[in-house]
Amino acid sequence: MFVGHATEILKIDSSFGRHGPRAQTYHLVADEIICRILVEIMKILIIEDEQELVKSMVQFLRQESYVCEIAYTASEAREKILLYDYDCILLDISLPDGSGLVILELLRANNKTDGVIIITAKNSLDDRINGLNLGADDYLAKPFYLPELSARVSAVIRRKRFDGQSRIVFHEIGIDLLGKLVSVNNQPIELTRKEYDLFLFLVSNKNRVVSKNAIAEHLSGDDAELLDKFDFIYSHVKNLKKKLAEAGSEDYIKTVYGLGYKFTA
Amino acid sequence: MRLLQVSLRSLLLYSIVLVAISIPVSLFAIREILNEEVDESLALHSDQFIRHIKTFEYLDDLELDLGIWDQLSYDVTIVPNAGGLGERIYKSISGYDSIEHESRPFRILESPVRIKGKDYLLTIRMSLVDNEELIVVLASIQVILLILLAGGLLLLNRTLSRRLWMPFYNTLNQLKAYELDKNESIQPETTNITEFLDLNKTVTHLTDRNRKVFLEQKEFIENASHELQTPLAIFQSKLDILMQYPKLDEPAAATIMELEETAQRMARLNKNLLLLSKIDNDQFTELERIDLSEVAERLLNNLKPLTELGEITLEISIEPAIFQANRTLIEVLFTNLFHNAIRHTTSNGVVSVELKGRRLSISNTGAALKMSPEKIFERFSKEGKSEKSTGLGLAIVKKICDSAGYKVDYSYHGNRHQFTIDF
Repeated sequence: MFVGHATEILKIDSSFGRHGPRAQTYHLVADEIICRILVEIMKILIIEDEQELVKSMVQFLRQESYVCEIAYTASEAREKILLYDYDCILLDISLPDGSGLVILELLRANNKTDGVIIITAKNSLDDRINGLNLGADDYLAKPFYLPELSARVSAVIRRKRFDGQSRIVFHEIGIDLLGKLVSVNNQPIELTRKEYDLFLFLVSNKNRVVSKNAIAEHLSGDDAELLDKFDFIYSHVKNLKKKLAEAGSEDYIKTVYGLGYKFTA
Repeated sequence: MRLLQVSLRSLLLYSIVLVAISIPVSLFAIREILNEEVDESLALHSDQFIRHIKTFEYLDDLELDLGIWDQLSYDVTIVPNAGGLGERIYKSISGYDSIEHESRPFRILESPVRIKGKDYLLTIRMSLVDNEELIVVLASIQVILLILLAGGLLLLNRTLSRRLWMPFYNTLNQLKAYELDKNESIQPETTNITEFLDLNKTVTHLTDRNRKVFLEQKEFIENASHELQTPLAIFQSKLDILMQYPKLDEPAAATIMELEETAQRMARLNKNLLLLSKIDNDQFTELERIDLSEVAERLLNNLKPLTELGEITLEISIEPAIFQANRTLIEVLFTNLFHNAIRHTTSNGVVSVELKGRRLSISNTGAALKMSPEKIFERFSKEGKSEKSTGLGLAIVKKICDSAGYKVDYSYHGNRHQFTIDF
C-alpha cells in the first residue's frame, strides 16, 4: 500500500530521465517493485472549501503518486497559483470568498497553462460553458466518484504534458491513447469502444478498487441506472478479460468480490 | 344568473308591483277626494239656495214661482215632498245629456226643505265628467310612468351597469387566466368605485403574496438540492476511500455496496428534483432548431448494447422532424421515456419507437399497471418496488411537456404500454 506523501515512497532513478526540465523521472519502489511505467511527481492543487471532501480527494489521489496542495479559499489559491506551476488544478466554483471563475481568469491573465478541472455543485449549463470558455479543461459535477476524478485528472495531465501523445505501458500491455489502441506484447487487440473506455478507466485507477457503479457512471452517464438490470458491467469485464487473455496477457483485472474490480499486478 | 340580472329583476318587480298597486289606489283615492269636493260643493250650493229661497218667503205665490223655477233650471229641481224633513242624501247617478246624446255620470244631493210650512225636496246635481277625465289622464300618466321606469331600468342596466361593472369583470377575467407559475401579476383596471378598488387591492395583494411564497418555495427547492450535492459528494468519496481497505471481509464489502447504492439513489433523486425545479424556474428557455430524429437515434444507439444484452427487441421507425425546441429538455424527455420503456420490459419483450410528423410514440410490452393510469405522471408514484427508479422520470416528462406545450398521453392496450407525445 502507498501511504503518506508520494515522495516518501518513491526513489529517484536517474536512468529513466528523458523528459523536459520540470519532469523528473522516478522509479516506483513500493512493497515490491511491480511497475515499469514511468512515474512522475505530478503537482495538483485542490481548491475546495469542504474539508472532508478535500481529505478524501487527497487520500485517493496520493495513492497515485500525485503531490496535492490545498487551498480552502480563493485568496489562498491566488497566492499558490502565482508562486507555483501545477499539472492540474481542481477548482470548486463556489468558494467562501468568491467565484472560482476568478481563478480561471487569473490563470489566463498570467499565461499559465495549468490544467483545470472545475468541480461544482451547480451542474448548470451556463457554469459549464463559462468555465470551459475561460480555459478549463474539464468539468465534474458533485457528487462524483473518486475513480472518475482520478481518471479525469490523469487524462488532463496526459493531455497537458504529452500533448495527448502519451502511451501507457504496463508489463506486456501497451495503450496508445491517441489511437485508442490496446496491444499485448505489441500485438494490437480489437476492443469495442466501451471495452476500451472500461479498460482505460481501470488502468487510470491502478491498484484501486473501482465499484460497479463508478464504472457504469463512467461508461454510460445518464444511462447508468439501467445498466444494473442487464449485468452490463459484468458482461463487458468478462469480454475484456477474455480478449486480453487470448492475446496472451496476464489477468490483471481482479474481481473484488461484492465491490467491483481492481486493475493490479 | 348574473348579479346585474338579479338586482334588476328585483328592482323591476318591486317597481311594477308598486306602480300596479298605486294605480287603483290612487284612482280610488282621487275619486273619493273629488266626490268629497263635489259633495261639499253640492251641500254649499244647496244651503245657499235654501237661504236664498228663504229670503223670498214674503212672496205670496212663492209656491208657484218654485214650480216655474223647477221647470226652468237645469241642474236644480225643487219638487213638493211628501216624506217630510229627513236626512240629506248624496247619490251618484247616470243622467242623459241631450246635447252630447249620451249618458253622463252625475252626483246629486237631495235635501228635504220646508218652505212656508210646506215640504219640498231640493235636488242639486253636478256633472262628474270633468272629474272622470282627470282620473283617466292621471291613470294614463301613471301607466306611461310605469313603462318609462321599466324601460329605463333595463336600458340603464344594459349600458351604465355594464360600464360600472367593467373593472370587476376585468379583474375576474385576469384571475381566471392567472397561473401562479407564469411570470405575470394581476393588472387591475383603475376605477373610482370604492368596492372595486378594495377588491383589486385585495386580489393584487393576495396574488403577489402567493407568488412570492411560490417563488421562495421554488428557490428553496433549488437551493436545497444544490446544498445537498456537497454532502452527497463527501459521502460518496468516503465510500470510495473505504473500499480501498485491503482487509474488508464479505459482509463489510456488501454493506459498503449497499451504502453506495443508497448514495447513488440519493444523488439521482436530488438530480431529478433539481431538474424539476429548474424546469419550474424556466431555466431552459433557449430554443434552437433540432432534428428530433437525430437526437432519438443517438440516444437509442447508446441504449442498443443494453437492449441486446437484455434480449429486448427495439423496433425503430423514425422520420426526420425538425423544429424549434430546447435541446436539453428534448434529450431529457427522450432519455426518460426510453429508460422507462426499457426498464419495464422483461426479457424477450419489445420496445418500439415511432417518430412521425409531430408525433412520437413509444410503446413497450408488459403487464397492465397495478396503479391507476392517472397516477402514472405523478411524482414519486412507482409501479413495483424498483429501488433503482426515483419515481420522478415520468413526472419530469410531464413537466417538460407542460412547460413546452407538448401533449403527452398514456394508454394501455393489447399488452402494450404506450406513450404518445404531440409536439
